[in-house]
Parts: sequence; C-alpha cells; structure tokens
Amino acid sequence: MGDVLFLALRRLRAPLITIICVYAISVGGLTLIPGLDAAGKPETMSFFHAFYVVSYTATTIGFGELPNPFTDAQRMWVTFSIYLSVVGWVYSLGTVIALTNDATFRAMLARSIFNRRVRRIAEPFYIVCGYGQSGAALMHALDDHGTRLVVIETRAERVARMVLEEYTTPPLALAADARLADVLEDAGIHSAHCAGLIALAGDDAVNQAIAIGARVLNPDLMIVARAKSRAAELNLAAFEDVRVVNPFTTFAENLRLGLAAPEVLQLEEWLTGAPGSDCPDCMMLPRGRWVLVGFGRFGHAISAMLDAEGIEWKAFDSSVVDDEEQRLIHGADTEHALNDAGIASADVLIAGAAVDAVNLGVTTLARRINAGIFVVIRQNHAQDHALIKAARADLSFVQSHLMVHECLQILKTPMLGRFIGHLRGAGADLASATIERVKRDSGNGAPLAWTFACDVMQPGMFGAFFQRPGDALRIGHLVADPTNPSERLVASALLLERQGTPHLLPDDSTVLKPGDQILFVGDNTARGLQLRYLNEPGTVAWVCSGREPPRGALFRWWQQRSRAA
Amino acid sequence: MNLEKVIFGFFNILACTLNFGFFIGDLDRPELHHPFELFTAIAVSLIVTVLKFGDRTQLGATHLATSLVATLQLLAASMVWAWQLYVTRLPMDGEVMSIIVSLSGGALVANLISVILLIGETLRQGR
Repeated sequence: MGDVLFLALRRLRAPLITIICVYAISVGGLTLIPGLDAAGKPETMSFFHAFYVVSYTATTIGFGELPNPFTDAQRMWVTFSIYLSVVGWVYSLGTVIALTNDATFRAMLARSIFNRRVRRIAEPFYIVCGYGQSGAALMHALDDHGTRLVVIETRAERVARMVLEEYTTPPLALAADARLADVLEDAGIHSAHCAGLIALAGDDAVNQAIAIGARVLNPDLMIVARAKSRAAELNLAAFEDVRVVNPFTTFAENLRLGLAAPEVLQLEEWLTGAPGSDCPDCMMLPRGRWVLVGFGRFGHAISAMLDAEGIEWKAFDSSVVDDEEQRLIHGADTEHALNDAGIASADVLIAGAAVDAVNLGVTTLARRINAGIFVVIRQNHAQDHALIKAARADLSFVQSHLMVHECLQILKTPMLGRFIGHLRGAGADLASATIERVKRDSGNGAPLAWTFACDVMQPGMFGAFFQRPGDALRIGHLVADPTNPSERLVASALLLERQGTPHLLPDDSTVLKPGDQILFVGDNTARGLQLRYLNEPGTVAWVCSGREPPRGALFRWWQQRSRAA
Repeated sequence: MNLEKVIFGFFNILACTLNFGFFIGDLDRPELHHPFELFTAIAVSLIVTVLKFGDRTQLGATHLATSLVATLQLLAASMVWAWQLYVTRLPMDGEVMSIIVSLSGGALVANLISVILLIGETLRQGR
C-alpha cells in the first residue's frame, strides 16, 4: 500500500499546491477589498467570512453575498476568484482522474491489492508460476483438493482469462515476471503458510531462474520445477530439494516400467489415480519393434529408453536431420517413410510429433497398413483433446496430465512418492503383494493416500507413548475403528519410515516408536477417524484396553495411587 | 543549483519566518498579532507540507512530520480565533490571544526543527 500512496502523493503535489495557492489568493484578496457592514459603514471582510465565501464560490455552490451585500469592488474580486478557482479545480481533478487511468498507477494498485490479499491467507498455499496448459490443469487439480493458490503469469491476457474460469476458491493472480525477487516476495514466498512453489513456465531457462531465485529467497521451501531439457534438469538437480520433473523422460520411464514390471506401473497408476477409480488393467506393452514419429525431445527420451532396454526401433521426422543417427528416416512423404520404417511388421507406434494433426494422420496411416499395432499418441494442445480421444490409442501422452500427476504426488503425499520409488526398485512381486493387500483392506476403488506421523507433541500420541501402561502401540491399533475397536477401518499401511529407514508393507503387529511415519491408503472416512488417535488423548488407551482413561490431573493421580495400593 | 532545492528551501524558511513574525510580541496583546500574518503562515505551511509529500527517505519522513505538526498547530490557532469571534461572539481579549499565540509558538518550534533539518541535510550532502 505504501508504494501506491507515495506515488499518488507525489503525482498530486502540483495540483494540491495549486489549490492551496488559489484559495490563499482568493481569501487574502477578499479580506483586503473594502466593503460595507449592515449599517453602511466601511469594513473589510474577516478571514472567517472570506474563507466561507470562497469555499462555496470555488466549489460553485453559491449561497449569495454573505454576511452583507458586497460592494462592487468585492464583486470584481469574487468574479476573478471564481475563474481562478474553477481553473484550479479543473486542473486538479483532471490530474486525479488521469492518475487513476495511469497504467503504472493501476499496475501498482493491482500489485498492492494482490500483496495484501496474499498476506491475509491464513492457510497453506502454493505459488504456481506459469499459467499454461499444465499450470491451469495443476491449479484446477489442487483447487479440487481445497488448496489455496497464488499464481504468477507473465501474460496479462492469461491472467484475465483465468478470472473467468471456475474455481472453488479463486486463486490470487498477478501478471508479472516471477524471475524477479520482489514479485516472489509479494506472492508470499516468505510467508509461513507458503507450502511450496511450482515453476511451470513455458521456457526451461525461465523455470531455472524461478526455481533458483525461490531457493535462495526461502531455503526451506518445497520447490518443483519442470525441465524439458537434460541440461536444465542437471542444473536444477544441483540445488538441494528442488524437485525436477521432466515430462518426456518421466513418460519414457513409465514406458520402461511398463515393459519391465507392468504390475508396478499398474499399482502406481491405481494409487495415484482419482480416488474411487477402478484398479487399471495390467497393460502389456509389446516389446517387438517400435516406430517413432517425431524425433524431438520426446522422441529422444523414448529412443534412449529403448536403447537401454535393447529394443529395436526406427524413427521418422520430416524436419529433424541427424547424420549420426542411422535409424532416423528423413523425408517429406509420411506414408513412404512409414513403409521405410517397416510399419507393417512393427509392434508399437509412438505418434509423438509436436503437431496433433500429424499424430492423428500417422495413426490412421499406420493402422491402415498394420491394423493390430499398439499406438501411443501424444496430445499437444488441450483443444485437440476430443480428436485425440477419438483416435482410440492404446496409450496417450498428455504433458499437462502427466505434470499434474507428478506434481500432486510430490506435493500432496511425498511419502507415496517415496513408496513408489521403492516399488520401482523392488519389482513386480512387491507390487503384486501391495495390490493384494490394498484390495483386501479397501476394495477395488483407488484408495486415498495419507501420512500418519507419530508426533508426540500431539495430545493423542503423547498419551499413547508416555501416559499409558500396558501393551505397546502397534499399527493394528491405528487401523481399528476408534468408535468400535472390533471393526477395522478401511485402511492399510504400506510404508513405515523410522529415522529415515523404510520398512515396506509393515504388519499390523509392528510396534510403533515416537517419530515414526506411516503411509496409509484407504478411504476418507478412515483418514478422518484415524486423526482421533492423534488429536484426542485417551483414544489409544480406550482402543487398547477398552477403558476410558482419566483426563484430569487429579483423577490421574487418584488412579496411580489406587493402582499402587 | 537545483531548482527543486531552491523552492523547497524557500517555502520552508518562509513558513518559519512568517510564523515567527506572527508569534513575536506580547502574548496577550491582540493588536501585536495581525490575522493576515497568521493567514499567510497557514497558507505557506500547507504548501510546505504538500511539497514534502512523496519523499521516501528517513529525513523526508521527519520533514513531513514537522510540517504536519506546524500546520495543525496553526490551524488550531485559527480555529480558536474564529470560535472566539463568531461562535462565542465576544471581542478578542488577552486571555484568548495568549492561547492563539502560544499555539503558534508551538508551530514555530516545529518550523525551527524543520529548518535545522534542512540545514543539516545541506551540510551533510556538501554539494
């Protein structure tokens, strides 16, 4: 607010001084001009009356000649004052109106309102930089989770469009360059409620600058940045705790997982999917021969993965020329090139060009030659969604979907991300065991994931660990229904982390220690009920022993006494 | 020479001198304190206050504060005067005049501080 006030005051200096001068001249003059009093004796007007007359004359209200009828000399002076003051007011008001239309002033005003609203947010919020396709999709997803959002986007028209979109809680938006430190500061990067920053600008260099700037400004902040090139990925990886998501290599990695351990991919899709959706079928990617259309960053990421897996491939691109790469076919005639790439005997087609029309055309052509081919299609633009869907590809790559998926996993349940990382390392057996356990405990719908921390600073856990005799706290207690301990909550434990050491799929009989973190999956009711173990003292004791422990200090002392006796 | 500095210094010192001119003389003798002097002191004081708007330095803020004090004191003095003449409808006497003049004396102190700040700033900058 200070900036706006100072700018306004600075701009209004000249008009205000003009008004003061106009009034001073008019009032001063009026007190000097000889006049007559009610009895007809000569008298000059007092300051009070002069100020009164000028005040209503200058503002063109005009009450007449007060306190006594004017002399002609006074009338002359008042005529002069009227013109003087009207000019003065017109000039001053004109300046004020020009100021409110001034672009700099309006930008500052918008910035100051934005800053004030950000400072008023009293719940965790995320800063999203860049409101493109991925940014918009991620914001809608986070909004569905009930998270407050602050968005910084360079292009003002995108910000204006966002205001028209439907959000449960409208995000706070600022049209500015997030690479500037003061913009990030105004967006609340220092706020205690700022839970993280996601850099999703279109350009890698911009994302790097944002992520690095944010890391320097707030060393403890969770930062997620998109990087589409290897160089940017490596640059950002050098910074501590900056999570880098490269959509192309992530998708290639998913394909590799689909080839090596489809169960792991299936479980990952299921656990990170929308709650309630059915367990996806285990997708069987054919190994065989692959044909890649489009050999940009996406094509390169996939071909690198295929090389690592030892799969034979041919690529076709009409614009990329690479003499080193023998397997790249260059040409203008797509059908010819597809035949050269051996589409008739290929098993997988990756339609990964940067133009959706090309991808659709290639898919149609390839199917005409080889009807049973497995098609992976890339969607570049959100508005082509219906067309891409109509192509009925076996798998589609939509960058914004993938970014949303990855970011949500990182931001919402980082522990789930770590669990999936362990899964990828462990292989298909663990994945099958997990699917079996989750289906047994929570049914077929995709479960919700959450983390339970045995935080002894919370009343429930303090009571459970330090104020309770008898049986140790076990995971089994946490999955019992706190309203009816013989019933089990729709929840199962997937991962226990104790001082940084992971224990995968812990049993119900596992004894817990203070500081443990447990990853649970289940339904929302279970999550809500389980919170009682954390927040309410005595719930754990009641579930373990079936008796309500005394709450107050006096009764606790009485109980200890009687037990001792 | 900087024209802004000249204008600023001129009005600042003028406010102080006009204020002093009104203040000087026995407190309780209305004939020694002319209303026109108070009027010009108020007008110049207002101009000085506006001139100090928008300066974001620490010194600028102190300048603005002193001017606000002076202006408010002078306005209070003029209001006491108007009250005596037009609301209570009594002729000006020594008692009320001493209130008015001592209010303007307070404004004079603020104006003096302002001038001292001005001199200090000039000496410090040395250019």
